[in-house]
Amino acid sequence: MVGVLQVAVDRRASAQCGVKMLDPERTAEMVVAAKHGDATAFTALVRAFLRPAYAIALSVLRRPADAEDVAQDALLVAFEKLDTCNEPRRFAGWLLTIARRRALNALGSRKVREAHAKGDGTEVVSSARWPDQVGLRERLLQALDQLSPLQCQVVLLCDLEGWTHAEVGTALGISELMSRQHLFNARRKLRGLLATEGSVEAQHDR
Amino acid sequence: MTDEKIDFSALDPAQDPSRWERLIESVAQRALAGRARPNRLLLQLSTWARPALALAAGLAIAIWCAVLATGGRGTTTTETHTDPVVALATWAMNDAIPTTVDPVVVLGGSNGSK
Repeated sequence: MVGVLQVAVDRRASAQCGVKMLDPERTAEMVVAAKHGDATAFTALVRAFLRPAYAIALSVLRRPADAEDVAQDALLVAFEKLDTCNEPRRFAGWLLTIARRRALNALGSRKVREAHAKGDGTEVVSSARWPDQVGLRERLLQALDQLSPLQCQVVLLCDLEGWTHAEVGTALGISELMSRQHLFNARRKLRGLLATEGSVEAQHDR
Repeated sequence: MTDEKIDFSALDPAQDPSRWERLIESVAQRALAGRARPNRLLLQLSTWARPALALAAGLAIAIWCAVLATGGRGTTTTETHTDPVVALATWAMNDAIPTTVDPVVVLGGSNGSK
């Protein structure tokens, strides 16, 4: 059980997804092509940026299913407003800002819904009750919950998406140094939280 | 060791590659459809732009011809006689001296409050 909770040294994570962020020049080319209605460019942009948008939404919402919906929504909105993207090279940052805003809106709506549900005496269904979200996934989400939004965004973009600090810095509007700092702190905190949980779990198992 | 990656694969939405691929295709299709809609509207507008412009030009010519046919008179004689303001302005501009009867005819029964 402890093995499941361990903070893995995982070089598999980034290799597994096989998706690398497009470089700014290539992104700009794709954005211009998409503006002209090129279907291939649309697919390439979705392939490259759906996961980062998901990571940003997850850092706000802390629920994978909600984050997936918001990520899709953010991409659709971005494509609708593509003509207003004046700097195609900075498409990533522009898209992630849209994703963050939409995630915050979704979070606000969710809180209102949950408050109403509590008021009505309706039972609020916790994500922990869904069978697909138990186990390591749930523990990771709980640990992520202890991070600041920026730490969460940085650690997800770096460790889930495999982005470099330069890419993270450009997309989030922070310096490379700040990105490193946030990543360092986030990883240390997550390791501490997951290790504590792991040992508690192990004691329960005995 | 804080330079080692955290394993977030449990949160990876692409764990099921075929499902993820379908999702990508679906988002791309919807995005493309969303972009195509305004283009169709623009196409419609551009298709109708020329006939609309021709119609507007035709109307303008017709109105212009009608104005020319009426002799381009700004006001009719009747109006001159019936509208005190026009009559007084005409006298003033032409330095015309109205007869004693003219103001009475122009002003008619009005008490000057018009």
